[in-house]
Amino acid sequence: MNVLEIRNLTKKFGDFIAVDRISLQVKKGEIFGFLGANGAGKSTTINMIAGLLRSNDGTIEILGKNIMKNKRFAKMNLGIVPQDLAIYEDLTAFENVRFFAGLYGLRGSELDAKTREALAFVGLGDHHKSTPDKFSGGMKRRLNIACAIAHQPKLIIMDEPTVGIDPQSRNYILNSVRKLNEMGCTIIYTSHYMEEVEEICTKIAIIDHGKIIAEGSKEQLKSIITDKKEVRIEVKTTEPVDPAEIRKIKGVETVSVQENIIRIQSDASINNLNLILEFLISRHIEIKALQEKEPNLETVFLTLTGRNLRD
Amino acid sequence: MSSILHILKKEVITVFRNKRTLIFMLAFPLVLMLVLGSALSNAFDKTVSVGEIHVLYKNDLNKDAAPYFHTFQQYAEKSDIHFEKAGKNTDGLKEVKLGNADGYAVLNGHGIRLYTNGRNSIKGSILEGVFSAFTDQYNLAAEVMKTAPEKAGAAFGKVKNNYIQTESLLPKKQPGSMDYYAIVITTMICLYASLGSSTLIAGERIRKTADRLIAAPVRKSSIFIGKLFADVFVYALCIALLIVVSKVVYKANWGDHLPLVCLLLLTEIIFSVSIGIGVSMFSKSAGARAILNIFIQLASFFGGAYFKIEHAGKLQALLNLSPLTWINQAIMKIIYNNDLSAAIPVAAANLCIALLILLISVTALQKREGL
Repeated sequence: MNVLEIRNLTKKFGDFIAVDRISLQVKKGEIFGFLGANGAGKSTTINMIAGLLRSNDGTIEILGKNIMKNKRFAKMNLGIVPQDLAIYEDLTAFENVRFFAGLYGLRGSELDAKTREALAFVGLGDHHKSTPDKFSGGMKRRLNIACAIAHQPKLIIMDEPTVGIDPQSRNYILNSVRKLNEMGCTIIYTSHYMEEVEEICTKIAIIDHGKIIAEGSKEQLKSIITDKKEVRIEVKTTEPVDPAEIRKIKGVETVSVQENIIRIQSDASINNLNLILEFLISRHIEIKALQEKEPNLETVFLTLTGRNLRD
Repeated sequence: MSSILHILKKEVITVFRNKRTLIFMLAFPLVLMLVLGSALSNAFDKTVSVGEIHVLYKNDLNKDAAPYFHTFQQYAEKSDIHFEKAGKNTDGLKEVKLGNADGYAVLNGHGIRLYTNGRNSIKGSILEGVFSAFTDQYNLAAEVMKTAPEKAGAAFGKVKNNYIQTESLLPKKQPGSMDYYAIVITTMICLYASLGSSTLIAGERIRKTADRLIAAPVRKSSIFIGKLFADVFVYALCIALLIVVSKVVYKANWGDHLPLVCLLLLTEIIFSVSIGIGVSMFSKSAGARAILNIFIQLASFFGGAYFKIEHAGKLQALLNLSPLTWINQAIMKIIYNNDLSAAIPVAAANLCIALLILLISVTALQKREGL
């Protein structure tokens, strides 16, 4: 059963087409990774699903019902964890969660019970009387999640829920996502951290320039580039490196230079490692480490979009 | 309906937890009332203490007239006007100039010449009035003496002891300084409510909670109404507290029709909150808030919130533009003239403007994506 189904969804801002006739299906029980660089159309799509933006064309169905015709039903079954913290600093953690859950029609003891449940789920049960200004970044992120799940939605959209927090809080959140999924929630997850997506998502879609350019499981996406190999070279300084010159080496397809790391993707059938090393040595570039990598999601993303996820 | 109450409750909690709001809506106006009410009390005092008046005189009147002046002196002494005969070597004019005497009178067969010091116009005016009254009576007697000398005694027979009597044309009920500032500062604070309300919608956008509100199954109109009612409730409560404290502690006069005055103030709160919400709806920068702040300052100044403005001449048109002028005048009329009908036009204007702004805001909100 599809929890979310999008057909030919389009959104224009003036002449600019932010989302260009995309179609997607998210099945019940999936953790759906939605990847795209900044400006790719990811947030616009999420905002249309959440009812924050109106589409110019196409349809969105949640649990088989068109969200435009069944707004209340769609909203009741949807939880949003926005990228920016959306909490009130003047209210306690309990009051924050209680207020947002109350917007979904919960009242009285049921509202209190579900508020406590949500806070306990994100590990803030002991901090329910504190205001967020006394919380660490990770705790605020967890409160942000609690506000979205107290009404027990069937579909939860998490937009960069781990941005800017410590590794411990990140692990806590990732475990919470898995637990929510085990409890029957379907999750749409976006992140700039590819390793997170690779770790928890069961299905992934990549959006670029408003279009879905790839969709499938991690394995399916990686299989797209089995004919590729990647070399990661750590150098002392990348100053004398000209990616355009490296690209001229036989078999080289893409070159990415970040800080003191050069990543080179080549045709897997051509053995060009000697040529690459010869080139770097001839330019007096000091090599500190070299690693030939199996294709991963980051490689896939770079191959398909020509840019890094953090670009 | 329950969603509106849910939002209202949260808004009320949020506002009352904001210490700045409480200081601004309660502590600040109470201090301002006390400071202005005490510091500017003289401007509202209808009695002026003049003290004793000292007059030097040189009497060269003939023997017939001298007793009448002596009688006049006796009565004037009762009113703290003290006469001292100038010595032969005394320069009366110099004494007046130096402030050693309030007046110098030279009496001779040609009449009375009175010199006063222009720096103390009140004492000078009193002396002029008193001497003028005396000379009128003296002239009358002189005329009688020419035509019927036997009746001259009757003309001076009953010497006046009330040479000057003033009747005030102002009504007896007038506000004292504390009464005045209790009213004008309360109405000014009502107008300041618009500044607080200007963050109602914009604040949700800034806090990023707007998306969460819109994503929830709540109508935009419920969010709007919940916020509107919450602000009206909170500010009405603050204003009620201001009235109670000013009445009980400062003994300010709120008149015999307090419920009507409160209703009028409520319409002003609705008016102010609506303006704030309007600004909150359509402004995406702090600029509009700054303009609102300037509007409040000007309205307060021309509405007489800082000092009473009377006889403004050409500025009267500006005074009449201030919503605070309307409500302050209406409240004064209710309290001091028992003119209850003064509330109607002001309340109607407040509510009509508020309704118009709210209708425009709601229509714009429904059409807009997000909050």
